[in-house]
Amino acid sequence: MSRTDVLNSPLVTRDTPVGYQLQSIKKKAVIQLMGSRLWGRFNPNHWDPVYAATTGLSAPIQTGEMSSAYLAEMCVNHFGAQMFSNARMVCKYVASTLANEVIVTHGVVREKAAKGNGFRFTVDIWSENEAGEKKTVGWVEVDVGV
Amino acid sequence: MQSETIRTDALRPLSDIQIEQTREFIDSLEQGSQTYWDMVEIGDELSRDLHITPELVILYADAVEDFNPWYEAWKMNTWHIKGESPFGGAIVPPVLVSHFVLSVQFDHNKPFAIGSIHTFHDSEILAPIPVGATVRIATRATDKYEKRGRRYVRHEVNVTDVENGTHYFRETRDILSL
Repeated sequence: MSRTDVLNSPLVTRDTPVGYQLQSIKKKAVIQLMGSRLWGRFNPNHWDPVYAATTGLSAPIQTGEMSSAYLAEMCVNHFGAQMFSNARMVCKYVASTLANEVIVTHGVVREKAAKGNGFRFTVDIWSENEAGEKKTVGWVEVDVGV
Repeated sequence: MQSETIRTDALRPLSDIQIEQTREFIDSLEQGSQTYWDMVEIGDELSRDLHITPELVILYADAVEDFNPWYEAWKMNTWHIKGESPFGGAIVPPVLVSHFVLSVQFDHNKPFAIGSIHTFHDSEILAPIPVGATVRIATRATDKYEKRGRRYVRHEVNVTDVENGTHYFRETRDILSL
């Protein structure tokens, strides 16, 4: 399904059942992106291997906002415009994402509560590396067809 | 010590002059900063206005490799465009403003404390933010606490439109301080 199709026709609808698995997206923790001036560059833990080592890290770590953005992208793919109004996203960064790791996002519909003409969906979300080690865990709540 | 064996160019190619400039830059960051724990008192309120330009949104979207056309109010060759989304013109990615809270919750006139880590956020995305809006990011320090020997500061955040008062975003967030 093309990006435009996904955006114009969200993958999650009123009929989507509890247990539905969101389609993952993958990103690589590329050191050049981690060192973008967008993130400030004032914390070398995010982009300098020498400084990171002095603070006990085996490699520079991504800023948590990058992980949240990946999860938000997955959610927009599934909820479309509904992700931008009265939605909630909770994320806890439980482990650091190291430079060069490949991150995969996941989501599973945990609950859908009747609301208006539709439902408020609660979806467990998380990201992990290719070894299955969780990096970010949380959930989103989104109104669908309300 | 581990750092003695790790090179500045371990993860990307750099020439000698680039390595020298990188080390100088990092040395300059370490001068004179306080920890976030020491910078913040519970009850501190800070606020700043951010103009969310098309270029800022593109910078963010590129950094997280999110090429959603709804976020594009700037394109190469045509430059500024109105953009298209279900809300009319281009809109801002859902958690973009969350990133810029860091520039508000601690006194940005002082050197930033390096080595701290963002650990948690509970974000409510209340309404879509049009690209080009100027938003007011207002923060209030609500807690400082220690857990398993680590020090955290907690803030509550509200983001509103400077012109029309629309409440776009609300958040609770924690930073692990050195």
